[in-house]
Amino acid sequence: MKIVVAYKWAPNPQDLEVRADGTVDEARGKPAVSEYDPVAFELARRLADETGGEVVGLTVGAAAIDTPLARKAALSRGLDRLVLVADDALAGADSTRLAAVLAAAVRAIGGVDLVLAGDSSVDVAEGQVPLTAAAQLGWLGLGRVTAVTPAAEGLSVERDTPAGVAVLAVRTPVVLAATADAVVPRVAGMKDILAAAKKPVEVLALAALDVPAPAVTLATLGTAKPSGGDRRAVLFDGSDPASAASQLVGALRSAGVL
Amino acid sequence: MDFTLTDEQELLLSSLDELLERECPESYIADLDLHHESATSFRKALHEAGFMSLGFPEEYGGMPCDAVTLVLLAERVCRQGLNNGFGLELLQAMDILEFGSEAQKQEILGLLANGRVPFALGFTEPGAGSDNSAMTTSAVHHDGLVTFNGTNTLITAALQSKYLLVMAKNPDTDDPRKAISMYLVPMDAPGVTTNRLEKILWYTQDSCEIFLDDVTLPEEECLVGVKGNGFKQLMRNFEMERLVIAATCLGQAQCAFDDAAAYAAQRVQFGQPIGNFQLTQLKLTDMAIKLENMRNFVYKTAWMLDRGLPLKSQGALCKRYCAMSGFEVADDALQIFGGVGVTVGARVSRLWRDLRGHRFGGGTDEIMVHIAGRQIVKDHS
Repeated sequence: MKIVVAYKWAPNPQDLEVRADGTVDEARGKPAVSEYDPVAFELARRLADETGGEVVGLTVGAAAIDTPLARKAALSRGLDRLVLVADDALAGADSTRLAAVLAAAVRAIGGVDLVLAGDSSVDVAEGQVPLTAAAQLGWLGLGRVTAVTPAAEGLSVERDTPAGVAVLAVRTPVVLAATADAVVPRVAGMKDILAAAKKPVEVLALAALDVPAPAVTLATLGTAKPSGGDRRAVLFDGSDPASAASQLVGALRSAGVL
Repeated sequence: MDFTLTDEQELLLSSLDELLERECPESYIADLDLHHESATSFRKALHEAGFMSLGFPEEYGGMPCDAVTLVLLAERVCRQGLNNGFGLELLQAMDILEFGSEAQKQEILGLLANGRVPFALGFTEPGAGSDNSAMTTSAVHHDGLVTFNGTNTLITAALQSKYLLVMAKNPDTDDPRKAISMYLVPMDAPGVTTNRLEKILWYTQDSCEIFLDDVTLPEEECLVGVKGNGFKQLMRNFEMERLVIAATCLGQAQCAFDDAAAYAAQRVQFGQPIGNFQLTQLKLTDMAIKLENMRNFVYKTAWMLDRGLPLKSQGALCKRYCAMSGFEVADDALQIFGGVGVTVGARVSRLWRDLRGHRFGGGTDEIMVHIAGRQIVKDHS
């Protein structure tokens, strides 16, 4: 089974600063494998170990995603090899464009049975890329995946939906987007990190993928910070704990929380 | 000098961050401290991720690791607020991997893999410690057996350990340098009894007295390395141990500083954050200078070790400076917090307690002067 892990090399949100106007300053954002993607690496590795398959990492983006550190960071997470599309023409590309390039790269890799990804990226978090890529490929696409195991004719996929847990028999090829808590990913140790430097990396030229230019591009008109909520900052005198607890319960009831 | 981390170091630290976030959050450490328990599950997780075999020979599942990387890891774990969080067990295991029998190696590696503390170091006695010539614990060899008698005291983590790596003297050998050997004694061997010592710091590691009364074991099972070479073997990793302790102090002091700086930025008095007042800024500035000095001292000492440069007094100077400055940083951090800092559950109080212990654990501030001072005078004679 050939499995592609589609991941994003994204700035760590802990390093970012939200400006007063709601825009995000990414200047100090140290890039890393997007926080929600390691789960896809782990699912892929386990599945490949079970089936004797291969795990190929795939990421697309601006030229800055291709550094020795970025390569090793991905390859140390259980990949067998890595494929990159790194081109400044993709700087700031919207999710539809990125999904189109990912799909083209999956075709270029060839013979892919399964594309696994995290549910969304840690920086943009729109959650659109995996399923848009599935549509581009003309494959089945499923989100909210919590488990995937080999089955007689393809895969057994478990999904956690608002209606409950569903277990599906799925034929390949397929694109699956895993929830952030689907599995606990292993952390890369020194052996994995040192081995990463020796694994093969292939850089695909964007032009060679022949992805049509987008007919429509996204234009952001404005941004704003999320509402901080209506904070009332009510203080209770705690000298009499029973009375303070009673006041707290009363206040929560009147606010409609309880 | 180039202080840039290699890609490998950055990725290793990033992996460690993931592990710390998942397996060693502040709530976990606070709970261990409250209940006086050891960080067993975190050590097990460290082992599973390959951190507990760094520096071990490859035939024992390890891989080479330089001293700079080891101190970076120790600093990062302790910056999380966990005392003695990384490095010391690894150094202990190195003693056995270097000098132990194959059976001893397998036993110690198995314990490490399960997150256990393999052994406590039995070196301090009621009448001896840094003055090892005053050691009285005896090991009498007879008929392929060894019989131990003596008392160890202030032994760290002995109640959590399966073994005691005890230093004992052969009473038949006159030359004190050739009389001391190293032995691995099971803590549950007949004749071994313990007395827990309650203390005001290092709650995640117990301390106790250990009494050895006619403890008799087969020589081939308990002797570690060469008979009479115990002290030489013990000294082998002392420089690295001092360096790991210094890195531990650095990490914990950084943790206290970060907490204090964040508190100063949000604690409002007289209508403004206390961080706006120059007396608070003076404290924070001096703390930052000490941290910078500690970091440079630790990294340079590790760099010297990696290049095989003679450390001479460097290890002792580094340990003394970092233990003292680390505690000073924590003390100032506690002052910035005021009364809140000493309430139960305030992390800074734990850091303050634990950092105080490093001023004597692994060698007192004063014995570091003894070691370094002699060397300095010798170098200038």
